[in-house]
Amino acid sequence: MTVLKTSMRNFFAHKGRMALSAVAVLLSVAFVCGTLVFTDTMNTTFDKLFATTAADVTVSPKAAKVDDTPQNGKPESLPASAVERARQAEGVESAEGVVNSLNVTVVDSDNENMGSSTGAPTIASNWTKNDLRSMEITAGHAPRGPTEVMVDADTADKHHLKMGDELRTIAVTGDFKAKIVGIATFKITNPGAAVVYFDRATAQRELLGAEDRFTQINVTAAAGVSDARLKQNVSTELTGAGAFKVQTQKEFADEGREGVGEFMDVIKYAMLGFAGIAFLVGIFLIINTFSMLVAQRTREIGLMRAIGSSRKQVNRSVLVEALLLGVVGSVLGVAAGVGIAIGLMKLMSMAGMNLSTDDLTVKAATPVIGLVLGIVVTVLAAYLPARRAGKVSPMAALRDAGTPADGKAGWIRGLIGLVLTGAGGAALFTAAGADKASDGASMLGIGVVLSLIGFVIIGPLLAGGVVRVISAVLLRAFGPVGRLAERNALRNPRRTGATGAALMIGLALVACLSVVGSSMVASATEELDRSVGTDFIVQGNQRIVPQAQQAIEDTPGLEHVTSYKMVEAKLTSPDGRTEDSDVTAADPTYASDLRRETVAGDLSAAYGKDAMSVGSDYAEEHGVKVGDTMTVAFKGGRTAKLKVAAVTDDDVAIDKGSRYLSIATMERYVPADKVPPNDIMFATAKDGQEKTAYAALKKSLDAYPQYQVRDQTDYKQELKDQIGQLLNMVYGLLALAIVVAVLGVVNTLALSVVERTREIGLMRAIGLSRRQMRRMIRLESVVIALFGALLGLGLGMGWGATAQKLLALEGLKVLDIPWPTIIAVFVGSAFVGLFAALVPAFRAGRMNVLNAIATE
Amino acid sequence: MTSAVTIPRHGGTGERTAVAARARQVVKAYGSGETRVVALDRVDVDIARGRFTAIMGPSGSGKSTLMHCLAGLDTVSSGQIFLDETEITKLKDKKLTQLRRDRIGFIFQAFNLLPTLSALENITLPMDIAGRRPDKAWLAQVVETVGLASRLKHRPNQLSGGQQQRVAVARALAARPEIIFGDEPTGNLDSRAGAEVLGFLRRSVDELGQTIVMVTHDPVAASYADRVLYLADGRIVDEMLRPTADAVLDRMKDFDARGRTS
Repeated sequence: MTVLKTSMRNFFAHKGRMALSAVAVLLSVAFVCGTLVFTDTMNTTFDKLFATTAADVTVSPKAAKVDDTPQNGKPESLPASAVERARQAEGVESAEGVVNSLNVTVVDSDNENMGSSTGAPTIASNWTKNDLRSMEITAGHAPRGPTEVMVDADTADKHHLKMGDELRTIAVTGDFKAKIVGIATFKITNPGAAVVYFDRATAQRELLGAEDRFTQINVTAAAGVSDARLKQNVSTELTGAGAFKVQTQKEFADEGREGVGEFMDVIKYAMLGFAGIAFLVGIFLIINTFSMLVAQRTREIGLMRAIGSSRKQVNRSVLVEALLLGVVGSVLGVAAGVGIAIGLMKLMSMAGMNLSTDDLTVKAATPVIGLVLGIVVTVLAAYLPARRAGKVSPMAALRDAGTPADGKAGWIRGLIGLVLTGAGGAALFTAAGADKASDGASMLGIGVVLSLIGFVIIGPLLAGGVVRVISAVLLRAFGPVGRLAERNALRNPRRTGATGAALMIGLALVACLSVVGSSMVASATEELDRSVGTDFIVQGNQRIVPQAQQAIEDTPGLEHVTSYKMVEAKLTSPDGRTEDSDVTAADPTYASDLRRETVAGDLSAAYGKDAMSVGSDYAEEHGVKVGDTMTVAFKGGRTAKLKVAAVTDDDVAIDKGSRYLSIATMERYVPADKVPPNDIMFATAKDGQEKTAYAALKKSLDAYPQYQVRDQTDYKQELKDQIGQLLNMVYGLLALAIVVAVLGVVNTLALSVVERTREIGLMRAIGLSRRQMRRMIRLESVVIALFGALLGLGLGMGWGATAQKLLALEGLKVLDIPWPTIIAVFVGSAFVGLFAALVPAFRAGRMNVLNAIATE
Repeated sequence: MTSAVTIPRHGGTGERTAVAARARQVVKAYGSGETRVVALDRVDVDIARGRFTAIMGPSGSGKSTLMHCLAGLDTVSSGQIFLDETEITKLKDKKLTQLRRDRIGFIFQAFNLLPTLSALENITLPMDIAGRRPDKAWLAQVVETVGLASRLKHRPNQLSGGQQQRVAVARALAARPEIIFGDEPTGNLDSRAGAEVLGFLRRSVDELGQTIVMVTHDPVAASYADRVLYLADGRIVDEMLRPTADAVLDRMKDFDARGRTS
């Protein structure tokens, strides 16, 4: 009881000094809870969406999968007769045929894409009774006839569509236009899909190219018939009519949810990973706080021991304080987490993904996880300082200063740190020399972890040398104030080490990723320069529909145009092994559009009749040589025996492992309606007409905004931008860890200022001006920050370089260290140091000289 | 009322001494209204140049406050304080800091030194801060005088309490300030170490012509001074020239007795 009481008193007496630690706990817990609430809310949104939109029983073609359009670009369908059959089943109230296509692009009269920019699909279908579950018509009427379309209200709002506006729908079967006659509003949250409705006949003709087919049947149960029962009845009725998948509402919704759930899990774990890093950094902050509080209270603790407190009681009193800190930080963190989730939802809304706070899902587990995590981490982090507090001898009450540092511990610590760093370095070295990427990856992971831990442990030892070097370069200019700052940074290497290490972690990751990212860009650029012979590349998020292909081919000023299709197939090599694998069917001109080295044979021969090429990795694994015969079973087509005419060198990043054959060969085995549209097209301008051809191509594609044409320069830029964007996102998430680390610097400085009250008073008394005082604190902060940055950047670049060496096996051949970024981060760290010192320096400057001297 | 301005009251040594610092009608009060506490009550005092002045008085008499005000560490509620011809009560913090740095030396009771700096670095710190080069010969003489030549590279925690205070004395002397203020400079030392430090202070007055003002409650320490000022309830109530320890002790007993009977 008394332990609790003294802990409580201490906690509240030092609440100012605890505040920053509490903020660190709060931020980490908030990020975890925010992630959980956000992803749970997303899941709820999709759950509701799928549950509401699904019919009691849904019948689809056996092969159909939600969100997956077959390679020929037309959705799998079933005959209209099946609808009739289903309607006959017992317990059926109604059965409706539905046409549903996700492989469409809808544009307005200005050729602006109506689809979502966030990756949500555009869905075209016929308006059915089942749609009334989730939507209501809020303007106009349902479409009746070939020129009428109804659009969802969100899309109409976003693109300022009015009744009577004309929309053009681009499907693989062709383009068609219709006027808006109705607007339907979602009754539930629609996360962002653009939805258009036609009448049944129009949908069948324009989306499927067949008047008598549907993509699914929505069956509604008569009163009192359960979904399971209905499913059975429908299945029985349909027996013999073809291969169907019959699903209850729940089964259908679950299938839809599965895909989304997987995607959400990836987001969730990635974000939790970053929260974990923030926690790790927060641990340093908490350890430092408690170490400093214990050091400051050494005499007090000595007194407690002298008057009879046991070690255990002292130890426990510190841990109870940590517990209180953990509880306060975590409770606030959980609350802030919900705020973060709402903030993220708002952010997503701005990006075009609608999420409603009505769906806000805070599972019971979320606050529990947040609290437990926050409290356990805090108490564990405080364990070491608490143990040190327990070791304070009663004599400390009588001594003036704190306990002297333990020299031996430093020596052992150094040894352990060196061993770990050495082991980490060895692991990284092994990883860099690995023959197979998969072997190297685990070594890389081990190396990263060991070297990080090693650096954290030897950080305090390195602090001495590194701080001296930084000071020699930087602080000399500041004379005695610089020297004082240097000495202050050096006086407690453990503290400087831990504070710097916190910053080191975040910056090491930044440096590592920036090296890998920039190496990716450099490697890709190098390879593009070396191997790409074509001028223009056309691709988009939909396969290139025939009408767009025609537009490209009709563009003036082009020397040749190359079609490129990925075709699903089953491959059997001469050794008898079979695998599901895509083959690349392209025009023979592709051999000059993308120059590939061959290990054997001639690549142009692979485009001959009934010939193909294989990659060197595959050839090696299966012992395939030029002249061997491969068995290729085309999906939806016949099986071909193709002669291997070339083996391409797989030591590349573009088209690694591709097996080429000509489109003509493929078309001999695949019926015309199963031939997939082009994935990508390449165009090469006539000599000297590059500029005009580029403009002409862009103009040809005006009507098809879902495709982009890029020349080599733009393509490289796009690649750079994409990687840059990805890196920026990761940096943004790492910012959390860096913010916590900066809090750590602020914390260390603030506590140091308190600790050095008397020194500060003395210096002010003998004539150090406020300005000089502030400068001294700032310089100390800058030195600590630069120490962390130097270690972090060094470590990170080492990791990055190792990763590049390892990924060289996957085509990441060029090591490019982004010096501007690295230097910017280093210089930025100095500013971070200045920023962190703002408040502590101000307080030190304002400290009353007399009070400072008078402080016991 | 006894005023410390009219020196020398008892004839003194006969030689004329200029005034290094003076206070005129200095009032220092804390709080206001009912809770108002007056620490210094219209104090007038002149500190003679080249002399060793001790300020004595019971706890709460205002002796430390007086010293802090004279040294420009504390502000006054009203009145004026001059250091030579500079009125320091008018100065803003920046000028005041410079004044402390360039013209005043300090020796505190404890915690005089920065633990991160060596003895020598501590000694030259005020000059380093000011960006002045220490006078080599003078520095050597000061170091020699306080007997620290062999310990200059040591950090404070490697020095004894007496040695630490001697470093503090050396620091105060090294910058050749117009005046040195000591706040119980021997309060934390045993009598031998204390005598050592006081001996240095005495010698610096006699041999180097330094002006020193020291607050103390120790009659033995006070006996090293040329002149002792007695403070009680924020006023200067008496003074003594060329004091001896016994005389100081007697005078204090007097005050004590008077304090009890009144």
